[in-house]
Amino acid sequence: MQAALGAPDPSGTRRPGLFGWLLMTPMLLWLFAFVVAPTLILLVYSFCERDDLGQVVYSFTWDNYRRIFFDSDTGEFGTTYFTVFVRSVIYAGLTTVICLVVGYPVAWSIGRAPESRRNLLLTLVMIPFWTSFLIRTYAWITILSTNGLLNSFLQYTKLIEEPFDMLYTPGAVVLGLVYSYLPFLILPVYGSVEKLDNSLVEAAFDLGAGPVRAFQKVIIPLTQPGIVAGVLLVFIPAIGMFAISQLMGGGTDPTIGEVIQNQFMQARDWPFGAALGMTLVVMFAGAFWFTSRRQAAVPG
Amino acid sequence: MKIIRLILALTLLAATAVPSYGQAKKKQVLNLFCWSEYVPQEVIDGFTKETGIKVNTENYASNEEMLSKLLAGGSKYDLIQPSEYTIEALIKKEKLDALTLENIPNLKNLDPKFTKMPHDPEGKYSVPWMAGTVGIVVNTAKVKTPITGYKDVFAGTHKRRIVVLNDSREIVSWALATLGISANDMTPENLEKAKPILATWLPQVKVYDSDSPKTALLNGDVDLGIVWSGEAAILWKKNKKFSYVLPAEGAHQFIDSLAIPKGAPNKGNAEKFINYILKPEVSVLISGEFPYTNPNAEAVKLLKPEQRDNPASYPPSAPKLETFKDIGAAAKDIDKLVTAIKGRK
Amino acid sequence: MGLVNLLCAGWSGLVFLFLYIPIVLLVVYSFNASDLISIWGGFSTEWYVKLWNNGPLIDATKNSLIIAAFTTVFSVILGTLGAWLLYRYKFPALRPLGTLIFIPMVIPEVIMGVSLLILFTVVSVPLNQWLATFTEAEFAQGFATIIIAHTTFCFPFVLVAVQARLTGVDPFLEEAAMDLGAPPLKAFWLVMVPYLLPAIVSGALMSFTLSMDEVIVTFFVTGPESQTLPLKIFGLAKKGLDPSLNAVSTVFVLATAILVVVADRVRKFKH
Repeated sequence: MQAALGAPDPSGTRRPGLFGWLLMTPMLLWLFAFVVAPTLILLVYSFCERDDLGQVVYSFTWDNYRRIFFDSDTGEFGTTYFTVFVRSVIYAGLTTVICLVVGYPVAWSIGRAPESRRNLLLTLVMIPFWTSFLIRTYAWITILSTNGLLNSFLQYTKLIEEPFDMLYTPGAVVLGLVYSYLPFLILPVYGSVEKLDNSLVEAAFDLGAGPVRAFQKVIIPLTQPGIVAGVLLVFIPAIGMFAISQLMGGGTDPTIGEVIQNQFMQARDWPFGAALGMTLVVMFAGAFWFTSRRQAAVPG
Repeated sequence: MKIIRLILALTLLAATAVPSYGQAKKKQVLNLFCWSEYVPQEVIDGFTKETGIKVNTENYASNEEMLSKLLAGGSKYDLIQPSEYTIEALIKKEKLDALTLENIPNLKNLDPKFTKMPHDPEGKYSVPWMAGTVGIVVNTAKVKTPITGYKDVFAGTHKRRIVVLNDSREIVSWALATLGISANDMTPENLEKAKPILATWLPQVKVYDSDSPKTALLNGDVDLGIVWSGEAAILWKKNKKFSYVLPAEGAHQFIDSLAIPKGAPNKGNAEKFINYILKPEVSVLISGEFPYTNPNAEAVKLLKPEQRDNPASYPPSAPKLETFKDIGAAAKDIDKLVTAIKGRK
Repeated sequence: MGLVNLLCAGWSGLVFLFLYIPIVLLVVYSFNASDLISIWGGFSTEWYVKLWNNGPLIDATKNSLIIAAFTTVFSVILGTLGAWLLYRYKFPALRPLGTLIFIPMVIPEVIMGVSLLILFTVVSVPLNQWLATFTEAEFAQGFATIIIAHTTFCFPFVLVAVQARLTGVDPFLEEAAMDLGAPPLKAFWLVMVPYLLPAIVSGALMSFTLSMDEVIVTFFVTGPESQTLPLKIFGLAKKGLDPSLNAVSTVFVLATAILVVVADRVRKFKH
């Protein structure tokens, strides 16, 4: 679990020699040039102000951060952006859980398929996503809209009398999110399932404990690194998404990705957008630090 | 180690992709930064054929997107395509180059209604490309009561059957219009007055969409919309049941224009391009692709009758029309106001 | 055991159905006579003809493919090597690295795009002065900057997938090979890479997919000669998406599907 979180397992590691550092250099350079440097620019901007045109004016102010947490009129704790944060986390969490339940058995099947089939099946999972996002989403809109295919089908089969609202609801947003992020759960889990020893799996089932216990006691713990990786790859990007909630949810309930997008593309308020982004990064780093600390404290 | 050789080759290829820009300089070029698909390929090809100037296009989807890239100074553009309030702000900040009017004789084709407007009072910096309005589209097959203005849309009888532009400034300006306040008067007091109106309006909205509000109307998910006139014109062309109404309280008229940013490397070519698109026979091509209002009086004469009869493109009667002025820092208050109310049920 | 596998296979069939329903629809609508993709207006193949004659759209598709291919190669190298090194060695002072890697994933695309744009702009001035001293070439935004930006948000996906695969492996597995006389890189190549291959393949597929479909970051770091397909399609949304875009997606999906099946057959034939 720790390895999946980026902290190496301390039991089998050693200090790197010159060779280790040398190999590490490209990645370190890349991270500093294209991750650390832009993040620092962002940090500076989040303390700046904007002029009338929306250009950043260098100064030092806490105002942008104050606006996130406090209501400017009353000075009390403001719920506007807090609600937006919470909503985004709920969407992302729900998506992750559904992806896990739906995707795990698929990863299992691919990992247990004959070896010559596996790459073919993996590619088949990915191919739908080599179409354009917008075109794919419009296909879903064609299915779910009031005069859409699903409503027409249900009316034709006399299951319903009147078409009902499916598109532009929170349910449609979750559907769109699950559809978009499912492969990012299946692929990492597959990496863990694939390395399970066949004899081990059979032994687990043959213990007579029943498939549920076999999964619970043996298989889930053994594939845990893959599960953790998959959860991270779905949950983290899903928090910042905005296009799906706009196209399939109608944009009535703004997410944090949408609000940040608006600061740059509508309000011309880069410093505030930067402050929102930094808050997101800090919250994430805090949660990350907290979990790895807890895992360090409770071994196994 | 075949793979290592492959990687080396790929890296070299990537590195050579950069210098290829230097060579393009020797040819005559025009770097056009325009709204996505707003300049028909036919027009660009025709211009290159006539003048031999190669056109490099880069696209954006909103004035703010354009500004963010222009101000960061990422690339050098010769010609940009801002709307009226953005032009005003750019002039104020001295980001535009004045046009050499003698180089653009075809300016005479323009309808005087669309020149020397408040955002560019001397007509020194910008040339109108297309004009349009923001108005109400009604699906008359579903909505039988007459709709004349914003108040009728949000009367409460069309709850969750409405699509509006996903644009905070537009939305707030509609609320102000019902109070008789100008869309350019975004003072904190006026915003406070708009707040209760928006609080009753926004929960009735089902979809916010600036890119393609026609989709929700065509699919029957909503019956009413407050959208760009171009969207309305496309809907009307598809089905005559979609009628276009300019709100009685007053409507926003936008003027998308061409302008040359300061420091443009090929200013002469940019002026040649402006002159080219002002030719009536070229301007008609733009109208063919985009059913907005053409400010070129000579081109309008060449339009087909069905184009001229489209009520969304050329409304028979216009109530109070108003262009947007730049509101500067008030944009952030507007954004906060709308974000706070959205999502409340 | 057999029953469990059977149930999982059945479930997978349903999930594949879910994944492919919109794709089938997309293919059907590419034969739509109407000029709006959401409304059916009868059968027609005109959009394929239009696509064939639409130079800018085909160019944009080519650009996207080139960018995605480079991004995938760079991401796989950075991600695999990074995961392995972080697993094998304990780098002093590099504990925060774990968090750093996730920043490109957690940060919304618009912020990443804007901050990279500023970075490239700031860097380009001194860089071009320096370049001018010995060459005519100059640094401008284009393919290179897009590939850099895409690699930055793609390689963490490879890294996470490979890390998960590494857990529980003897960190000195390849030393057995080194004891037999192989140099360290060769030992890594011979022992670790085959073992990590399933995770590397997953990571490569994810990188390619993410890069092919990215719009926002690309908008900020692109130049005038590197329009990508997603940029083009998002731009078209304003005018109304027409079925020629479905036709692009259809051609693309069919081509890859055929390629994959043929490759599979060839491999089987060789066996």
